[in-house]
Amino acid sequence: MKQKKTDTLQGTLDLLVLTTLEQGPLHGWGITLHIERVSDAILRVEEGSLYPALHRMEQEGWITASWGMSENNRRARYYQLTRLGRKQLHAERENWARITGAVAQILAFGVSGT
Amino acid sequence: MGWTHRLRSLFRRQAHARDLEEELNFHLAMREQRNREHGLSPQEARRQARLRFGNPTLLRERITELDLILLPQTVWQDLRFGARILLRQWGLTLTAIFALALGIGVSTAAFSAYKAFFARPLDARHPQTMTNLAVILHTGVTTPVFSYPDYVEYRDRLHAFSAIIATSLPQFLPVRTPGGTLVQHDEGAGSLIGRLFPLAGSTNNERALSMFVSENFFSVLGVQAVRGQVFRQQDTRQLATSPAVLISGNYWQRKFDSDPSIVGTRVVLNGASFTIMGVTPRNFVGTFVAAPDFWIPLSLEPLVHPEQNWLTDREKFCCHLRARLAPGVSLHQAQSEMSLLADRLRALHQAQSDWAQPLHAVVWPGSPFPIPPSQNRNIVIALSLVALAVALVLIVACANVASLQLARAHARHNELSMRLSLGASRLRLMRQLLTESALLAVIAGALAFLFSWAFLQWAVTAAANAFPDEYGTFVFHVSPDLSVFTFVLGISLAAGILFGFAPALDSSRSAIAASLRANNFVSLGRHRLRSLLIASQVALSAVLLIAGSLLIHSAIRALNMDTGYDDAHVVDLNLQFPENAGYSADRKTALVHQLTARLAALSGVADVTSARAPDDPDFRDAAVSINSDAPSRTNTKAFLFYTYIEPNYFRTLGIPLLFGHPFADTAEDSAILSESAAKALWPGENPIGKTLRLSTERQFHGPAEPLPDGPSWRVIGVARDTRGVLLDGSDSAQVYLPMPAAAAAQYPILVHTRISPATLIVQIGPLLASVDPALMMRAITLEDMLRSSAPFIASTVSAAIASVTGLLGLLLVTIGIYGTVSYVVVQRTHEVGIRMALGARKANVIALILRDSSRPVLFGLGIGLILAAGAAWLLRHVLYGIDLIDPLSFGGVSVLLIAVALLAAFLPSRRAARVDPMVALRCE
Repeated sequence: MKQKKTDTLQGTLDLLVLTTLEQGPLHGWGITLHIERVSDAILRVEEGSLYPALHRMEQEGWITASWGMSENNRRARYYQLTRLGRKQLHAERENWARITGAVAQILAFGVSGT
Repeated sequence: MGWTHRLRSLFRRQAHARDLEEELNFHLAMREQRNREHGLSPQEARRQARLRFGNPTLLRERITELDLILLPQTVWQDLRFGARILLRQWGLTLTAIFALALGIGVSTAAFSAYKAFFARPLDARHPQTMTNLAVILHTGVTTPVFSYPDYVEYRDRLHAFSAIIATSLPQFLPVRTPGGTLVQHDEGAGSLIGRLFPLAGSTNNERALSMFVSENFFSVLGVQAVRGQVFRQQDTRQLATSPAVLISGNYWQRKFDSDPSIVGTRVVLNGASFTIMGVTPRNFVGTFVAAPDFWIPLSLEPLVHPEQNWLTDREKFCCHLRARLAPGVSLHQAQSEMSLLADRLRALHQAQSDWAQPLHAVVWPGSPFPIPPSQNRNIVIALSLVALAVALVLIVACANVASLQLARAHARHNELSMRLSLGASRLRLMRQLLTESALLAVIAGALAFLFSWAFLQWAVTAAANAFPDEYGTFVFHVSPDLSVFTFVLGISLAAGILFGFAPALDSSRSAIAASLRANNFVSLGRHRLRSLLIASQVALSAVLLIAGSLLIHSAIRALNMDTGYDDAHVVDLNLQFPENAGYSADRKTALVHQLTARLAALSGVADVTSARAPDDPDFRDAAVSINSDAPSRTNTKAFLFYTYIEPNYFRTLGIPLLFGHPFADTAEDSAILSESAAKALWPGENPIGKTLRLSTERQFHGPAEPLPDGPSWRVIGVARDTRGVLLDGSDSAQVYLPMPAAAAAQYPILVHTRISPATLIVQIGPLLASVDPALMMRAITLEDMLRSSAPFIASTVSAAIASVTGLLGLLLVTIGIYGTVSYVVVQRTHEVGIRMALGARKANVIALILRDSSRPVLFGLGIGLILAAGAAWLLRHVLYGIDLIDPLSFGGVSVLLIAVALLAAFLPSRRAARVDPMVALRCE
């Protein structure tokens, strides 16, 4: 049971990160900020999860990293989506749509059933 | 996928850690700044940021851990982990290593033996610049045998070679040495090969294996005498006045006990006297595979064989040529230059000679084989079959280990699914499993290397001892070299990947399946793969065993087969007249008549006749026509074998005449056919009274022997078939012709004895000495002669090889089935427990396991039987007198395999039957 939860969470984080990077290269801090901002602070990305996830996705070849200058002129590591990453993003998006669709159906059934 | 990245990070580990550090610091600083912007005090902003970030060390560790799983550095970790796993299941590991070592060991031994025998270079300094020479005649035949006058032209006129040497085939010459007297002995008695292949039979004289070599032989090969001197090109004139030979170090040691005073003593070879001028190094074999006893200068050949005319006759083909390439010349250039000269030499040959027709030269890297083994169809077929058998053993071994690995993968189910759910990719798991397999394979490879090395050392010693000294000292270098080692390593790695891949694929797939399902029942796919592996082992072993059994059966048949004549009681006496004593043809005939009469008078002798025996390897064939015209290219009914016989031939050999009557006297133009010959010429008709004509044009025959060309022969009888020496049995088709009275002395004397042949042979020695003490003879029973013929040797050797590989296959299958069923039993403990709790009895459980495990065995056996039928078809040429689908072999092997499989499954199945239902259920 525990494994399943990890899987889902991990998958969701991947989806969030990849979607964020779809708009252009960004550093880890920027990704955290973007997700928090766009979700109106409902979703909070844990650093303890984000960096291992970035590292893992880099190893999988979904994203590449390079050093660049941040807005306030500090050296920062920028992540960029690869072709493979784009593919993965599409796959995860579809999967997400399916799952949320299924959940929505069940909820709707629950509503109409009462 | 991203592997370059991983490879890079292997070398940039430090830099990587720094990058990570900087990235995390950047994040912390940004968070701190943001906290401050939200109005927190600097201290609070920092504290909050840290708090939120969690333990940075833990984070770093988690990322490093990711690296450890993903980076190639983990190969070492994989290895350590793999070694631990292998050690934990040491029983299974040992079995797998043993099975694999067996498979690899056999392959290595076969490869090394091939290299030592077929791919060996010449025994020369810088062997890589040595070449073999041959010509391809207009008939398409490649011949490596040149005449001496042609050799001299090539030697003196070609610039592509720095030197060309000529050698004769080694030959046995009667020898009288300072210490030696005439001895009567059985050649090779007591040694294995001597018993199996009694090439020489009994003789009344001592003989030495001698090789004629050109005078430049030793300087071109770069070999010095260990004592005395070798002869050189510039010594030719001096040799003519004072004939000298070299003795081999092996013969010197064996016969003269390494007597230091040997140089300068005299030796008499075939009546010609020579001085021993030097001793060649021990085990120096030159262009041959065995060390002969004497090396004789080619220019002195007329002293040994006065009537042969090797040196002057351009149509006497005596010599194999080998050459050293001049620096910077390619094989191709040398070949073109030699072809040009060969073309010019055509004019010097007699018009009807093949050498007067268009031909071209071939030059290829130096080898003791005058023609590359790859051009000899029989050798290629034999080698392919051996290679196939060896490959099958290796495949069985791999399938075996794969099935063991598969069973083991199941035992590690929990570990694998745990790792998978912790984020390891399938690829990663497969790599771990492959690493383990490769580790297993490398250990097995090392073991196999030692095993095959030891085996080859033993085999070489055994083989050298098996050949009687009289055949020269066979020298094989099979010490392990780098290429053999590479080969072994390649095989073991390939095998590792081969057998590691299937279980890796399977277990990583089922690990995913299992992580989604809570229970642990055996998945169908896994079961099918394992059954497939067992079935393929059984199938291939069945092929090996059936082929082995067919060959053994056929070898036994070959030994006991009705030859069509009384081979056990007829002795073949081959007379040799001293070549230097100038015996006239009349004197020879008179001596043979005298000897025949004396032999016939011996008690115990039933009949004496002069003829070539049916199994004499020296046979003749001719084109046959059945109309009144002479046979020609367009007018030939068949190619048959012919032999000259005296009227009492059929009685002496015990060959029954089916129709007609034997020859009355020698003067008539009548012929007797064997059944096969009659069938070939007049199928379904009575051949008696019909006529035929023979032509030996373009067929081999000796000098001054009677030829059947010319008038027509009238058939007066048909004799039963006899078995000859050819593999395809075509020489059963014989045309018997009456022996011209003057020709009898050229043929062996055949003696039909009523007493034991050995007793008779002992009496013949003194009898021969009383007729003429200078006569030499060789006596052998027809039975022994048959055993040294090609079909017998081929079937014996192939039976030995096939049965060894078959038994290895059987051993491996037994191990495989036992190991797999053992694991299945462990896996199904739970299921068996439930069954027993529900009332199943022990017998039911055993029957269940046996039924399940015998299904793939039966399936594999079915496939194996079909494949074996194909193998039998491939072997049809070496199978003697048995059906291709030999019921004994096919049935026997099936029963054997099923029995072994049931036994291998029965032992572990009893363990299942002992399962305590309570224990099994509590395991859950």
